[in-house]
Amino acid sequence: MTTAEVSSPQGVHTLYSDHHRWLQGWLRRKLGNAFDAADLAQDVFVRVLARQQPLQIEQPRSYLSTVARGLVIDHWRRRELEQAWLETLAQMPESQAPCPESRLAFLQSLIEIDRMLDALKPAVRSAFLWAQLDGLSCPQIAERLGVSLATAERYVAKALRRCYEVRFES
Amino acid sequence: MSEAQALRPVERLPGEVIDAAIGWAVKLDYGGPSEPQLHQAFEAWLVADPRHLTAWQRVGSLKGDFAKLPAQLASQTLQAAAMSRPTHRRREALKLLSIAGLGLSTAWVLLEHRPWQHLLADAGTAVGQRHLLRLSDGSVLALNTDSAVSADLRGTRRLLTLHRGEVLVTTGADENALARREFWLQTPFGRMQALGTRFVVRLYKDRARVSVLEGAVALYAADGGSTAVVQAGESRWLGARTTEAVLAHGFEDDAWAEGVIAGKNIRLDDLLAELSRYRRGRIDCDARVAGLRLSGVFHVDDSDRTLEFLAKTQPIRLRYLSRFWVMVGPQ
Repeated sequence: MTTAEVSSPQGVHTLYSDHHRWLQGWLRRKLGNAFDAADLAQDVFVRVLARQQPLQIEQPRSYLSTVARGLVIDHWRRRELEQAWLETLAQMPESQAPCPESRLAFLQSLIEIDRMLDALKPAVRSAFLWAQLDGLSCPQIAERLGVSLATAERYVAKALRRCYEVRFES
Repeated sequence: MSEAQALRPVERLPGEVIDAAIGWAVKLDYGGPSEPQLHQAFEAWLVADPRHLTAWQRVGSLKGDFAKLPAQLASQTLQAAAMSRPTHRRREALKLLSIAGLGLSTAWVLLEHRPWQHLLADAGTAVGQRHLLRLSDGSVLALNTDSAVSADLRGTRRLLTLHRGEVLVTTGADENALARREFWLQTPFGRMQALGTRFVVRLYKDRARVSVLEGAVALYAADGGSTAVVQAGESRWLGARTTEAVLAHGFEDDAWAEGVIAGKNIRLDDLLAELSRYRRGRIDCDARVAGLRLSGVFHVDDSDRTLEFLAKTQPIRLRYLSRFWVMVGPQ
């Protein structure tokens, strides 16, 4: 068992030179792709550098892989969203699709919203999206989900609270 | 985030004020047609405390984030992305397991962790079962659903035979032997030597698929002609005559060891075929929905729930002809 003292850029540098190759290999196995692995490995160390308080790491590799795992999940989530976006776009009549210039900005917003809603249960998330984007009322959502009106209202409220926290309290 | 918000520091409001504002928004903005009395009550609430107005304005501004988006495209994209990922809890669970630093889930170890005698031994699983076994040389075998293996650790080489199904092998250090012995795995289509490693072997009707997670594995086709070395991150078919590279199929070959099917951009019929390995009975997939593409992590231990989940999130319908026979068709 090794301990790494990461309280300074030097500490991070040591952490980097000792474990960067290993981390990149670990990520490549997770992602099956050397380019993404290199990018994410870089991101992991950026995260570690950005930490405010000094950090005593008992097991550097287990710490790094914990950070990396969060980024891998983020990466997949983003990929899934991009995939869903492209498929939805492909099914849309050309006239209804947004112009190419604004697409990237929209996709970026969707990625942020997706991340914001990620902590919610699927039913809560769906209820909220129906309310917010499809203009369904709570009684309609209740019917669609087969739940009581009070439950549908609670779902929408829960999602709004989540949005509120991200927007005003983080 | 709007610029106005970024410019002034945000006053923190009490939780109950925020919840009250959200409660009003749900009734007034997201409810059906409302009674005049409701509006009067709302206005009374609004003027009762200046913080109520702040909370109300903030909640109202949340809509702005969404109003700028093309609604239909945004809604469909966000819903589709969510349905490709089954449950967050599952994901969290997977994350936790791996944080524990274990290649295999702890729940599993508790489920089945019996020491094997070092002599010839056999082990098998029924449909829907998975077992974890530790061999006397320190190797760990995870047996997937409907699988059978035997091991012979008496000789100068260690020999494992896969008779049926699928196994994840993590080779052990063989510390009790005088020198570390070779580790071989035999299949009906040929054999392979593990070169210090973790790998998955799955038997199909006429060939075996070998996926290496760590280290490398050398393949030898049964008729002696063809050999190949599979490196970490690669998969290869082992047939009786030849070996060949496995085309990308979207599935993670070792996800079952964590109790899930995980894949990216996989066809619905392929997913259902995988799922049916873990359940008694059959799943038929209508050709009209077979080509739907999905990504995500899907439970194998409660396949009925996974099917239900798919029915809720995909344009498909389940028809149960009997408890053990389900047909998946378009809505």
